[in-house]
Amino acid sequence: MKKNALTPLCGLIIITFLLLIGLGTFLFIKPSNLPKAINLGGDFTLQSADGPVSLSDYQGKVVAMYIGYTSCPDVCLTALAIMRQAFISLPEKQQPYVAGLFISVDPERDTPKKLKTYTQFFHPAITGLTGSKEEIDAVVTQYGAFYRLVNMEGSAMGYAVDHSSRIYLIGPEGQLLQTVSHNASPVELIEALQAILSTSK
Amino acid sequence: MKKILMAALLCQSTLALADIEVTEQYARAVPHGQLNSAAFMTLYNTDTTSLDLISASSPVAQHVELHTHSNVDGIMEMRQIDKVVLLANQKTMLKPGGFHVMLIDLLQELNDGGSIPLTLHFSDNTTQTITLPIKFAVPMKIDHSMPHKHAE
Repeated sequence: MKKNALTPLCGLIIITFLLLIGLGTFLFIKPSNLPKAINLGGDFTLQSADGPVSLSDYQGKVVAMYIGYTSCPDVCLTALAIMRQAFISLPEKQQPYVAGLFISVDPERDTPKKLKTYTQFFHPAITGLTGSKEEIDAVVTQYGAFYRLVNMEGSAMGYAVDHSSRIYLIGPEGQLLQTVSHNASPVELIEALQAILSTSK
Repeated sequence: MKKILMAALLCQSTLALADIEVTEQYARAVPHGQLNSAAFMTLYNTDTTSLDLISASSPVAQHVELHTHSNVDGIMEMRQIDKVVLLANQKTMLKPGGFHVMLIDLLQELNDGGSIPLTLHFSDNTTQTITLPIKFAVPMKIDHSMPHKHAE
């Protein structure tokens, strides 16, 4: 009787142990495999207030790209403010070789015209882009970003947009090189931009 | 004379109720045509009991709400909240990426260098009206002495 009660318990313990080893191995291996498995980035075309804009239009420049929405008065503004700060702090002769892109995932509220006013407020080299939901979703997937519309019942805003918040740094050949957090310091962004500029000559 | 008296009374009532010290307050300058902005500040509850900030109001926006941002596995989620708990003898910061006062459907432009009034409503039925300078959203001061080491 006693033996019968113990055996399933022992079995369970062994299974749990094996599962934990399996999980541990998976977690250990996964991070190093990810960058090889997923090739992020690439060219795209979206709409600006002055017509269609492709990433390939910026060949030869380092592009800092952010995906967000203008009704977000907090992190998106912070990201663009960092971008502005970095751009104006670069030595004058490097300034023509950097550009910013702000992609709105909220085309219902963010028209290309509104995006232009928004991005120009920060820096003339930042262009606001958006498109149809399908076009936006394609870019979001391409860059491993994420967003979802969330109803905010009782809020005058109606809905919020949850979104990943990174500044993507794209090299002069259009290749995605690295990402910087929206709450990085402008100095971090400047150094990252300059590191790319210095290796791409 | 009446006005001066009223002003004096108002000042007095604010002082008498000032268990919450507001510092580092500012509202964000936003681009022309932008409908929303946010206000940030540090609230120091100098009292021995906890108090909640339950709402805010301002003549510059049609709606004023309390919101928070949280970073959930790299996804920024903005949500409306009912209150900000101000623990006794503690400072609570409303700052970018966290608690903030949302100014929704702005009735006027918020330009850098200007200022706006904001009334804070607390759970003990007191209110406090503060003036917030409007600032351009620069996240932090940049060290201008930093050498441009990759410049050449």
